[in-house]
Amino acid sequence: MNPWIAIGALGVVSIGIPLGMMAVSALLRPSVPEQGKSAIYESGEIPTGTARLQFNIQYYMVALLFVIFDIETVLIFPWTVIYRSALEQGASLTEVLLPMLVFIGILVVGLVWAWRNGAVEWVKSPLAESRKTERQT
Amino acid sequence: MAAFDYAPAIVLLPFLSFLVSVGVAVSGRDLLPKGGALPGIAATAGSFLLSVWMFLTVSGGQYYDETIYTWAAVEGSFELTFGLLIDPLSAMMLVIVTLIATLVHVFSLGYMNDDGQTGLPRYYAGLGLFTASMLGFVVADNLLMAFMFFELVGLCSYLLIGFWFREAGPPSAAKKAFLVTRFGDYFFLIGVVAVFATFGTSQFAGAEAFPVLAEEVLLGEASANTFGFAPQTWFTIVGLLVLGGVVGKSAQFPLHTWLPDAMEGPTPVSALIHAATMVAAGVYLVARMYGFYALTPTTLAIIAFIGGFTALFAATMGVVKREIKQVLAYSTISQYGYMMLALGSGGYIAATFHLMTHAFFKALLFLGAGSVIIAMHHNEDMWDMGNLKEKMPVTYATFLAGSLALAGIFPFSGFWSKDEVLYEALVHGLGGLGGGEAEGALLLGAWAMGLLAVFFTGFYTFRMVFLTFHGESRSDTARNPHGVGWNVKGPLAVLGVLAVVAGFVNMVPVAKLTGAEIEFLHKWLEHGPAGLTSEHYTELTHEFAHYTAGTLAGGELGTALISGGVSLALALAGVGLAHVLYNVPEPTEHTDKLGGIKTLLYNNYYQDEYQVWLATGLTLPVSRAADKFDQGVVDGVVNGVSSVSLFSGSRVKQLQTGVVSNYAMLLTLGLTVLLVVFGLLGGWF
Amino acid sequence: MLLQSQLPNSLALAPVLVLALTALLLLVVDSIDPDSTNSAALAGISVVGALTSLGFAGWFLSAGTGQVSTGGGISLYGEALVVDGMALFFMAIFASVTAMVAIGSYDYLRGKPHQAEFYTLVMFAATGMGLMAAANSLATAFVALELASLPSYALVAFLKKNRGSVEAGLKYFLIGAVSSAVFVFGISLVYAATGSMVFSDVAEALNGTEFVGVAGLGVLMIAGGFAFKTASVPFHFWAPEAYEGAPAPISAFLSSASKAAGFAVAFRVFTEAFALSAIPAGIDWVLLFQILAVVTMTLGNFAAATQENVKRMLAYSSIGHAGYALIGLAALSAGSAQNGNVMGASMAHLLVYGFMNTGAFLFIALTEHWDIGRRFEDFNGLGSQAPVACAAMTVFMFSLAGLPPFGGFFSKYFLFAGAIGAGFWWLAAVGAVNSALSLFYYSRVVKAIWIEDPSGEFQITSKPIGLYAAVMIAALGTLVLLPGFGPVIEMAQTAATALFA
Repeated sequence: MNPWIAIGALGVVSIGIPLGMMAVSALLRPSVPEQGKSAIYESGEIPTGTARLQFNIQYYMVALLFVIFDIETVLIFPWTVIYRSALEQGASLTEVLLPMLVFIGILVVGLVWAWRNGAVEWVKSPLAESRKTERQT
Repeated sequence: MAAFDYAPAIVLLPFLSFLVSVGVAVSGRDLLPKGGALPGIAATAGSFLLSVWMFLTVSGGQYYDETIYTWAAVEGSFELTFGLLIDPLSAMMLVIVTLIATLVHVFSLGYMNDDGQTGLPRYYAGLGLFTASMLGFVVADNLLMAFMFFELVGLCSYLLIGFWFREAGPPSAAKKAFLVTRFGDYFFLIGVVAVFATFGTSQFAGAEAFPVLAEEVLLGEASANTFGFAPQTWFTIVGLLVLGGVVGKSAQFPLHTWLPDAMEGPTPVSALIHAATMVAAGVYLVARMYGFYALTPTTLAIIAFIGGFTALFAATMGVVKREIKQVLAYSTISQYGYMMLALGSGGYIAATFHLMTHAFFKALLFLGAGSVIIAMHHNEDMWDMGNLKEKMPVTYATFLAGSLALAGIFPFSGFWSKDEVLYEALVHGLGGLGGGEAEGALLLGAWAMGLLAVFFTGFYTFRMVFLTFHGESRSDTARNPHGVGWNVKGPLAVLGVLAVVAGFVNMVPVAKLTGAEIEFLHKWLEHGPAGLTSEHYTELTHEFAHYTAGTLAGGELGTALISGGVSLALALAGVGLAHVLYNVPEPTEHTDKLGGIKTLLYNNYYQDEYQVWLATGLTLPVSRAADKFDQGVVDGVVNGVSSVSLFSGSRVKQLQTGVVSNYAMLLTLGLTVLLVVFGLLGGWF
Repeated sequence: MLLQSQLPNSLALAPVLVLALTALLLLVVDSIDPDSTNSAALAGISVVGALTSLGFAGWFLSAGTGQVSTGGGISLYGEALVVDGMALFFMAIFASVTAMVAIGSYDYLRGKPHQAEFYTLVMFAATGMGLMAAANSLATAFVALELASLPSYALVAFLKKNRGSVEAGLKYFLIGAVSSAVFVFGISLVYAATGSMVFSDVAEALNGTEFVGVAGLGVLMIAGGFAFKTASVPFHFWAPEAYEGAPAPISAFLSSASKAAGFAVAFRVFTEAFALSAIPAGIDWVLLFQILAVVTMTLGNFAAATQENVKRMLAYSSIGHAGYALIGLAALSAGSAQNGNVMGASMAHLLVYGFMNTGAFLFIALTEHWDIGRRFEDFNGLGSQAPVACAAMTVFMFSLAGLPPFGGFFSKYFLFAGAIGAGFWWLAAVGAVNSALSLFYYSRVVKAIWIEDPSGEFQITSKPIGLYAAVMIAALGTLVLLPGFGPVIEMAQTAATALFA
């Protein structure tokens, strides 16, 4: 018996069950078309405008910075786990501590630069600013 | 070896004078007295003295063969070099060239300066460059260097023939001289390349010289790339190719047509270049590489036959000419024919001998003619002259000496040398005939033509003398000729003496008769570097061309006497006929008696017409066809390639649509194709 | 053994470390005063950093660091990186080009915002290229390639207000993404077949592997990744647009250094990991590179011949030159003694190309600085206005075409001679034909500059000293590499031969 046959059978079953269920429910359910059903679901809110709208670039900046720190965290975690045992097994401080300091140092340089250049400043969009001004008057 | 350290100076001194003259010419001001003649005279005189020193050193048994400069070397293949070779032959030639060059420079003072010519710095620059180039050619130690200087003298000839470039004739004559000699040089160049391709060297002398190598190849001791031919055949081809340059430069049939036209140049130039030296370059070249020619009997026979034919052919044309320089021009062609005849028939010494005597007496005749032309206010028509002997005794005396030498009258120099030429042709012709060789008959035919030409030579020479100097004056200018100065008479006197005595260095018949050791030239050329001696050449011609000496009645001595006697008798007959016809107070033109031949002779056997026809009727259509081929096929292919490139280029450009999704698609497609192809090729699936 | 034990081995990477530190320093400087437009300081730091890197590379090269004479390549970080003659040779190329680009950018960027970012990105890209040359594992190769690529995308789009620049940047990024995907997929396949990323282990595992198909797909896809970096067919589509749209110094940087980096890593991967001695017979990557070389040089040159825009012509010519350099991989055969010579010639060609092509693009930067148009006609008569720069451009053009007496002549000569020596005379013949064609469009520039009459008035008011200096340095390099080619080719061929040992 080829082991691939079992895998193939699993594939067939895993595709067959959802397809079968959808087919059965399509056959069994009553068909009552209504506008509310075809509308986009936005957590209960009534959707306005198109989906193709431009987000402020600031969202991406924050997201990118978050990703950087996320990865930093991911790398720091295993380091902390082995840190003590590595020291105990005789590794010198320069071997254990220094690389992480260099790594964080590089990230800090980047962060400082991004901060100084206004990456985390919530700049108001000139367009929104002008609209707000219009509303006030 | 101290003397040889100065050898390059022989060439460089005239070159220096050329540079000085060019500087003066460029400056456009009259910076030098005599228009630059004095540096030229000083330089050539200096070269002459050095040459004499070389000559004396060489006669002491020392030779010089040295590479001066290697200007290109292909590792393990061949080297292109400049070098000097000074052996008896080149030392003798150096003395001749520098002596005549000096005399011509002096003569030019009278001919050009005293005549108030303009552009003199240009003239002396040309003379200087010519002298330097000619000397460079003489001392060249390899064929390529010889070729380069061969071309340089051709260039100088062109420049000097066209000296009076504002007139109609000289520029055209200059172009003709340039083109016709270039036609021959083209073959010479191929010959040089062939020599390099065959032997990997073009040295004249030494153990690795190409004549030596050729000899070893023929003996089976060495091998060379003969391009699939038998060595003998291939060497004949190479020899004939080089001979192309010789025929062009030494004005041999059929490339002789440029020389009479070259007389449009100033007369001293004619004397130096077109009589004594440059035209001798061809003959000298054959003599220089005689060790190579001696190996191929076919080439030798062709050289002899061309020589004999040219000697007769040119002499007949000289008979009817009206201009004094034209007569001399044809006689020059004819005399070089003799030298070729001698070379072809194994008479290396005879050719060299005649080269030397001819250089003296022909330079003398040209300078004499120049003197006459000065006197006649540049009228060259002999029918306007007459009775000049009263007015110009020095010119007459020397001109007469030169004429006697040219006609081959005993005991003037021409007699001895021409006699030896004919003797060599005769004995080797007889020997060949006796041995059953086909070349023997050819040699005898050439000899017969040369012998016949002796008669014509005597006739036209003395026709010229009588018309110019004897009889009644036939024009006002002839009655009141312009006087000539010391600078004209001096060179004439020197050359006049030489024309008389130069023959005494090699009086073979006298030596044979008396048993005295007076064949100085034989002695002179018998020594020399290994492989460059006349004895060696004799061995070669005997061994490879099977030249043996045959005799008529009376053994060797008898043959020599018979040969000399017959040629002297013919010469005297020619002189006598000229005397009867033209040595009268009022000579008339007898050419009408020739009938149809007259027109033929006047038109030089229609050689010019036939060459013009060759150029316009044959070469031009061929060139047109080649041009059509070039424009249609070659350019078509080239243009086609470029338009295909440009077209496909624009196709490729269109592949770059600018739509990035297309790029991604093409990229993926390309990768997929590669994957599939390599997968199939490599059997991955 | 580094410098006869004067320095620790970890400092063998000094040429790269210097570049990285310079980039960080630039960030620090910019953080101190983000609004400053003191470009002199920024350019100065970059130039000093690049030259220091070049100095280290040159010092190590001459001292024999990592070369056979001192015990072979220096392996670092668990064989992730290796510093040997070839790596240092390429680091020297990158540092030279970076220095010239930094000098030239000083004038090009005058008055433009975000200069610090520009120099930082250039430095980071150069760091990535240096790491590519030193990569000894497929993983580091990929990371280094991305480190070189990502800043490049941003640099191409640096002129934010210029539609061409932004469009080129996006296209470059998209094609780059596709190519990276192909590349990384290839790596995964090779890893699947061999179970290792380190080159020597890959080679060991490939020798007699049973997964020829998987490995073959992987090899081909990895080659695709390199083809993207070197702008070879069919991964070249980004190149004309990116080079044309990018700021001219960046075009120079990408077409010279980035291309060389692609070759550096390709040379190492295909000689160490997929070595001819170890690769299964079914994976004929030499044939692949032969096809790529011929198609790339032909397509590049043919397309260049019909361009109307000088910068775009140079872009296509750069593709053509990638084809020539590919001969270094295409003219190999298993066990041949000529392999080192061919690859060394290709390396030397990339060095010369680094100077002449950078110079040519910097000349374009100069014309852009002067606001002269980009078409051939716009260059008409420029020679009378700016003779020195135009003379330098003439040198670049003739050198690119491979005419003597310029550096490009020798490098091409050795390349083709090497191919002939290795028995691939037809590759050399195709290369020679293409070179002849290339003369056509290179001479068009020269003709326009010197022979044609000016079609309009030039407004050349300034003589930007930085751009001039950069162009002159490039010209000097192109010229000096003619007499100095002997040691260069010797060094390159020694370094390449060491790879085959």
